[in-house]
Amino acid sequence: MPLLECQHLNVAFGGAKALNNVDVTADSGAITGLIGPNGAGKTTLFNCVTGLLHPSSGVVVLDGRDITRLPPFKRSRLGIARTFQRLELFSSLTVRDNIRVAGEIASRWQRPRVDPRRETERVLDLLALGHLADRDVTEIPTGMARRVEVGRALMTRPKILLLDEPASGQDEAETEEFGDLLLQLCADGIAILLVEHDVSLVMKVCSYVHVLDFGSTIARGTPNEIQANPVVLDAYLGADQEP
Amino acid sequence: MQDFLAYTVLGICLGSVYAIAATGLVVTYSTSGVFNVAHGAVATISALVYWQLRQGWHLSTPLAIVLTICVFAPAVGIFLELVVMRGLRDTSEVTRLVIPIAVLLAINGLATWVWFRDGSRAIVPKKFFGEQHLQVLGQAVYYHQVIGVGLAMATAGGLYVLLYRSRLGVTMRATVDDRRLLMLNGGRPDRASLGSWAIGAGLAGLAGVLLAPQQGALQIFALTLLVFDAYPAAVGGRLRSVPITFVGAMVLGLTRQYFDWVSHAGQSWLALRNLRNAIPAILLFAALLFLPQGRLRGAVVARTRERFTVPTMKQAVAWGGVLIAAMAMLQALMKGAAVISLANGMALSLMALSLVLLTGYAGEINLAVYTFAGVALIVAWQLDVGPTGLATRASLSVTAILAAMLVCAVVGGLIALPALRLRGLYLGLATFAFGTIVYQLVILQTKPLRGSIFGHQFTINLFTTGSLTVPRPHWFGIDFRDQRAFLMLMTVMFVLIGLALVGIRRSAYGRMIIAMKDSPAACATLGLNIMRLKLGVFMLSSALAGLGGLMWAAQQRTLANNNNFDGFASLLLFMIAVVGGIGYISGALLAGIFLSVLSVVMPNIFIKLGSDYPSLHWFFVTGIGNFTKFVGPALIGIRLGKNPSGIAQQVMDGFRPLKRVPLGTAAWASSIVVLWFLSWRGAIGHWTFALVVIGSVFIVPRVLMGMFPERFEDVANAGQEDPDLIGLARPFQRHDRDRFDRELALPGHDRSRSDATS
Ligand SMILES: Nc1ncnc2c1ncn2[C@@H]1O[C@H](COP(=O)(O)OP(=O)(O)OP(=O)(O)O)[C@@H](O)[C@H]1O
Ligand SMILES: [Mg+2]
Repeated sequence: MPLLECQHLNVAFGGAKALNNVDVTADSGAITGLIGPNGAGKTTLFNCVTGLLHPSSGVVVLDGRDITRLPPFKRSRLGIARTFQRLELFSSLTVRDNIRVAGEIASRWQRPRVDPRRETERVLDLLALGHLADRDVTEIPTGMARRVEVGRALMTRPKILLLDEPASGQDEAETEEFGDLLLQLCADGIAILLVEHDVSLVMKVCSYVHVLDFGSTIARGTPNEIQANPVVLDAYLGADQEP
Repeated sequence: MQDFLAYTVLGICLGSVYAIAATGLVVTYSTSGVFNVAHGAVATISALVYWQLRQGWHLSTPLAIVLTICVFAPAVGIFLELVVMRGLRDTSEVTRLVIPIAVLLAINGLATWVWFRDGSRAIVPKKFFGEQHLQVLGQAVYYHQVIGVGLAMATAGGLYVLLYRSRLGVTMRATVDDRRLLMLNGGRPDRASLGSWAIGAGLAGLAGVLLAPQQGALQIFALTLLVFDAYPAAVGGRLRSVPITFVGAMVLGLTRQYFDWVSHAGQSWLALRNLRNAIPAILLFAALLFLPQGRLRGAVVARTRERFTVPTMKQAVAWGGVLIAAMAMLQALMKGAAVISLANGMALSLMALSLVLLTGYAGEINLAVYTFAGVALIVAWQLDVGPTGLATRASLSVTAILAAMLVCAVVGGLIALPALRLRGLYLGLATFAFGTIVYQLVILQTKPLRGSIFGHQFTINLFTTGSLTVPRPHWFGIDFRDQRAFLMLMTVMFVLIGLALVGIRRSAYGRMIIAMKDSPAACATLGLNIMRLKLGVFMLSSALAGLGGLMWAAQQRTLANNNNFDGFASLLLFMIAVVGGIGYISGALLAGIFLSVLSVVMPNIFIKLGSDYPSLHWFFVTGIGNFTKFVGPALIGIRLGKNPSGIAQQVMDGFRPLKRVPLGTAAWASSIVVLWFLSWRGAIGHWTFALVVIGSVFIVPRVLMGMFPERFEDVANAGQEDPDLIGLARPFQRHDRDRFDRELALPGHDRSRSDATS
């Protein structure tokens, strides 16, 4: 049974359907890709999973439990963590404190309790952010800020990590290194749902990919299947997108 | 039945005026995102202008109306948008509330200065067509009221056409959704903003002219409050929906009139009359309960401009020591009256400390600090004095203080509950409504509450004789009825609470509060129960407000029920605290001192100058003295838009470089001590001393930087970093673009375009 299951999700903003009967699943210990042109509904799906947005119909199931009605903080306590495409960092805090406060929040509800301070240093190392630790988080480049968001999410020791375009703003070498990190994380048993425009990263790390376009799933399969799928190519070329 | 219909007619008449006022508020909010607290002040000054034109200068009614509603009021709106509100983009919700508060106080101050500076004067606005009226079902309905209903209909229809059928309206509605997108699509958000401010202010003016005759003799702040009564209608419409606002206004008007009917025009019994006055505030709470929860707010995309640095605990302790020493030295120099001013200021600083926690750290808003003072005062009085005791004999006990803080925390928690789900602005409005309710139903009550619980008789004395006298503490064998001793006690308390707050800020709890302020959405996805944290912070800060308020009351000794509690004092305190630097303990200190100095000392100086130079009396007393008294604080508040982090930040930025010249700094500090000694011995005047010290605070850092330029190269070159690296080393920001525009002499792009950081 998959760890996360979204079934028949529907979301509409005014008249426009942002999600149309979307089904997405993610398994523990694997990286699932979620791709699609701009405005396809990827971020909207993340918002539904984390509870920041309520779908008009459909259910979200985590670990066999229906969490559709739970508020965001309760979902997080069940093991969902995410990053934000439009960065949501704590702009008055330093890089280190951004990560540390996440651990401190987590240590209020998480058992066994982990020392937030020690965990912070571990995560800073893991993400190679040590040299930026004492900088104001508003001062660092976007690519690094995205890593801070990943680190912050990891502090809750999630079962599933939702990453919204984590590589944008990182250069090629950094992206490469970041991909390895993701593989390492899922080797530890975390499920990762990855939204990313960098196709080579998706092809490299994902074991399964869902493709959204205009709110509907237009394809799903292994990276190789997706790459060969004419519908997907059409969606991307038709939308005149993709660097 | 006939009565019911008659009161329905009256309710619709009243509701119509509310509708005009409330929709004006909605129009400005929905295009600019600014909740224009000053709406009521625009209404008031328009009513005065209309009076001046019509009854003062005897213009014809139509001409006076056109000049007031179509020329004067919109001009005020346009002026506000151009000069003040436009600077509010990218600022926090707090700043966006404080500036309109400052504008409100400035306009009312100006009106007082123009029309009422020589004390009371009867300005009695007349109704349109005087006392002519129709008889409707046995009730007199004035032509004035009929005109009000007609105008409300016209307003509703006009706004509908404007917002939903015209291009300008579409632009206006799009402006607040996404300014940038609108511009990319060829919209002109600036013009839309101007339009909405002009219309909003015009509607305010109309409401003011219609409401003014209700009062009899016009009183500025009372009329402003009358307009505030319409605000719940706007809140019911989520500050966006014109139709719901309209319906809400009708509900408001009808409720009030039905209440009159049920209580048989209940003007005779004070309790009921006050309940009538509290109806809008009560309805506001009701509206808050039913408002749907908005989406969790994320971080503001363009970084807000407010930045606060955090002192280390060591620094905080050192500064606390300096403050106590400085205060001890200062009070030794000063005469009795000046010590009282200083002590008043210190008491206000203690109250402002509660806002440092709530607003500075958590970004939430409390517009009823004085109300908490009132609550604390009533509780402490019951415990320490009691109905038969003598306040002058008693000592304020620690038990009473703790009980008062506890009650304040609980009460604070209860009023915050309905607003916690909503954005910060709504919590602010809830506190304001709470202030009104307590003022009307508790503080203005002159009968004691009697009752019994489990057979125990109890009597709670409110402001029974119109005032309460509070005991001062008598602790550690020191009688704090001595003003100097009490000043020092408050100073020590200020330092201790300040240290505790810095401790909180540096703790895990403090970081969570900051995180919650910066991005509630991110916090929720990390598992933080935001409502519980908010509730906790609000309760803690309410308790601190109670403590500070109690000290303030003890400083005043006898407190009348008529001033400070009607809401405006709380608005002023909130505003000055933010201006002082709401993120800093020192900001609270500055705020308190400021308030007492500005409102007492400054005018006195000018009155003295006026009597010394009788030929310049008008200039000093009316021109500068009264003007600073009435308008000064508000003008300072308006300046905040330029530097939203507050004055404390500015002063500290000035001092930061001094660390590099320890010798010079030490020399400066010791010369102050020497001067103090001379002044204490009477060798130089106290005022001279004060002026020299204040002046040196601003001058010495500059002088030292000038003397040792080599140590300050990096400070002087700040902002001159290598342009090639901007965007790589850190994100490209608006000030960078401005700098490039400046240096390349490009015509500045529209300043409202938000920066592309991602
Ligand atoms: N708050 C909102 N109000 C109205 N429409 C919205 C809102 N949020 C998203 N949309 C619309 O829903 C659709 C899906 O948006 P979403 O942000 O989920 O796309 P996305 O796949 O994440 O795109 P991108 O690759 O650009 O991040 C878009 O058409 C968008 O304009
Ligand atoms: Mg997206």
